[in-house]
Amino acid sequence: MTEPISNDGKIDPVCGMDLIELPGLAKSSYLGKTFFFCGDKCLERFQNNPEKFQKAPLIKLSKVQKVFKIGEVETRALNGFDLHIWEGDFVVIIGASGSGKSTVLNMIGMLDQPTSGAIFLRGQNIALLDDEARAEMRSKTFGFVFQQYNLIPWLAADENVALPAIFAGKKIKEGELESRFQEIGLKERMRHRSFELSGGEQQRTALLRALINDPEIILGDEPTGNLDSTTGNKILEMLINLNKNYGKTLVVVTHDADIANKSDQIIVVKDGRAVRDHRVHKKIYTE
Amino acid sequence: MKNLLFLTLKSIRYRPIRSWLTILGIIIGIMLVVIILSLGSGIQNAVARVLQSFGSDLIVIFPGKETNPFLGFAGGQKFKKDDILDLKAISGVNLVMPMSIAILNTEFLGEKKSVMFHSQPWREMRIISEESKGVSLIEGYWPGNDETREVVLGYRAAYKLFKNKPKVGDDIIIKGRRFRVAGIFSEVGLQDEDNQMYLSHRNFEELISRPGFASAAVITAEKGSNIDLVAKQIKFQLSKQEVVSDFSVLTPEKANKVVGDVLSIIELVLIIIALISLIVGAVGIMNTMYTSVLERTKQIGIMKAIGASSSAILSLFLIESGMIGAVGGIIGIVMGIAAAYIVSLIAAGLGIRGLFSFASLDFLGFAAILTVTFITGILAGVLPAKQAASMEPAEALRYE
Repeated sequence: MTEPISNDGKIDPVCGMDLIELPGLAKSSYLGKTFFFCGDKCLERFQNNPEKFQKAPLIKLSKVQKVFKIGEVETRALNGFDLHIWEGDFVVIIGASGSGKSTVLNMIGMLDQPTSGAIFLRGQNIALLDDEARAEMRSKTFGFVFQQYNLIPWLAADENVALPAIFAGKKIKEGELESRFQEIGLKERMRHRSFELSGGEQQRTALLRALINDPEIILGDEPTGNLDSTTGNKILEMLINLNKNYGKTLVVVTHDADIANKSDQIIVVKDGRAVRDHRVHKKIYTE
Repeated sequence: MKNLLFLTLKSIRYRPIRSWLTILGIIIGIMLVVIILSLGSGIQNAVARVLQSFGSDLIVIFPGKETNPFLGFAGGQKFKKDDILDLKAISGVNLVMPMSIAILNTEFLGEKKSVMFHSQPWREMRIISEESKGVSLIEGYWPGNDETREVVLGYRAAYKLFKNKPKVGDDIIIKGRRFRVAGIFSEVGLQDEDNQMYLSHRNFEELISRPGFASAAVITAEKGSNIDLVAKQIKFQLSKQEVVSDFSVLTPEKANKVVGDVLSIIELVLIIIALISLIVGAVGIMNTMYTSVLERTKQIGIMKAIGASSSAILSLFLIESGMIGAVGGIIGIVMGIAAAYIVSLIAAGLGIRGLFSFASLDFLGFAAILTVTFITGILAGVLPAKQAASMEPAEALRYE
C-alpha cells in the first residue's frame, strides 16, 4: 500500500507540491538521486534529514478535488490539491479566506470526502473507507481543536472531555479527568458548562478533549483565532509542546504569521491549490 | 449504552420546555386509553349488576329498540295493560308484572318534592324480588294487596329526600292523597332507582291521567321451561297488538349481549380517538426531533468530528425520541389511573359504585402501553435521526 516517493523531479518530496513547469527550482542529491524543491525551506529540511523523506509521508493528498454544490451553483473549493505531511512535524496551512485551507484540514481529518483524488494515511487511501470505518479512524487518529471551541453546550467541561472516549468505547480511569484538568489549571471549573467558561478556558477544555484518546495527529482550525494574544499564545505553547515533547503531528490552519514562523512546514493555499511559486514560501519566511 | 442514555438525558434536560410539551402530546393519548380501559369494564360490570338484579329467568318487555331500553321505558309509546296481562296465557309464563312510571308531586310534613313513582302489582314484585335477590325490604313489610293505600320507598327516597326522614307507618301525601309508608327498600346502588317510590298499579292509576297502560313489563318463565321459546311466543303474541309497533323482548342473556355490544362500540370509538391522539403525539415528537436535529446540527458535526459514528448519532436521537415516548407513556398511565379513579369517585357519589377496576388493565397491559409508546417514539424519531446521522461532519460544522 505504501506509495514510493516520486523523485523524478515533478513532486517536491517535502511538501508534496507539483513542480511541473516551475522555473528555477532548488535541487539536491541523495544516494545518487536528484530531488527538486519548491523553495529553500523545503530544500533545507530535506538536507537536514534526507532519510526521513525517503519513507512514505504520514499524510498525503494526491490531486484532491472538492466541489460544493449549493442548488445550481458549483463552487470548486479544492482543485487538484497535493500535499505531504511527515510524522512528527508541525505543519501550518495558510491562505486567504475562501482559499480552501479549512477544506484541506477537513480532508485530512476525514470530516469531509473529496469529490475526486486520494487521501493517504500511512499509505492507506482513507477517502475510500465507509462511514463507520471513517468514524473509528477519526476517533483513534485525530484530535480536533476549533476556532469556536465547539464544546457541547449541554455538557459540563469534564463531560465534554470524556465524550471522545465514550464514542471510542474506552473507559476513563478514576481521577484521570481531575488530574488532566489540574494540569491545565481548570480543576475548579471542570463541572461548569461551556457558557460559564471564558474563551481561553473553553479552548483549553477543547484541547483536553482532543487529547483524551491520545491521537497521533492534532488538527487545529484557527485555534487561537478567537482569543486575545496572551491567551492565544498560551494555547499555541501547549500545542507546540505536544508537538515537540510528545511527538504529536500538528496541523494548524491559521492567518497568523507568528504561528507560521514556528512551524516545520508551511502550505500556502490559493484558489484551491497548494501554491507552487516557491517565492511565496520565501516571502512568508522573511516577513 | 449507559453513556448514550446519559448523553440523551443531558440533551433533553437542556431544552426542558420543548421536551415536556412533546411529552404532553403522548401523555394525553395514553391517559385517554387508560381511562377508557379502566372504566370500561367497570361500566360493563355496573350494567351487568343491574341486569342480574332482575334474575336469570326474567323476560323484560319494553317499547323501542333493544339498544335504548331506558329511553323506551322513560317515555314514548306505552302498551295497553290488558295486552300485557294477556301474556299470562302463554304456556311457560309464570308471572306477568306490568310496570309504569310517572313523576308525581309528593309532600311529607309540609316539604314538597317531585318524585319518580314506579308502579307494579305487589304480589308479583315481591315474588320476583325474592327469587332474583333484587331489592329487598330493610324496614317494614310488603303491602298485602293492591287496594290498600300504601307506598314503599326506595333507599334514598327514604333517607335522603326529605329533611325529616319518613318512617314506616308515617303518612305521605301523593298528589293530594294520603298513603302510609309500608316499607323501605335496600339500596340498589343506582341513583334513579334508589330515589323512586313504589305504588301498586291500582293506586297508581288513580293518580295519573291515562290509566290502563304499561310502560314495560317483567315476565318470569316457569322453572324448566325454554326461556328463548317463551320469549319468542311473547314476541309473536305482542306483534298482534297495534298500540306499540316497535318493541323489544329481552332475555337476560340477550340483554347482557346488547349492553356488551353497545359498550364495546363506545369503547372502540374512544380507543380510536385515543389512537388518533397518539398519532398526533407521534407527529409532535417527529416535529420536535426535526427541530432539534436542525438546532443541533453543529453539535452533531462536533460529535462526529470527535469520533461519533453515524450509528452512535442515530442511537442518540432514537433513544431521545423513544424516551420522550416512554416517559409520556408512564406519566399518561399514572394520570389516566388517577383521572379514572376520580371519575369513579364522582360516579360513586352519584350512586354508581365500583366503576374503577384493573380488570382489563393488568401489568401486561401497562407493559404493552409502554412498549407501544416507546416504539411510537422511536418510529417518530427514525426520519429525523437518520437525517442527523447522514450529515457529513464538515457540512454540519459549518451550520450556524
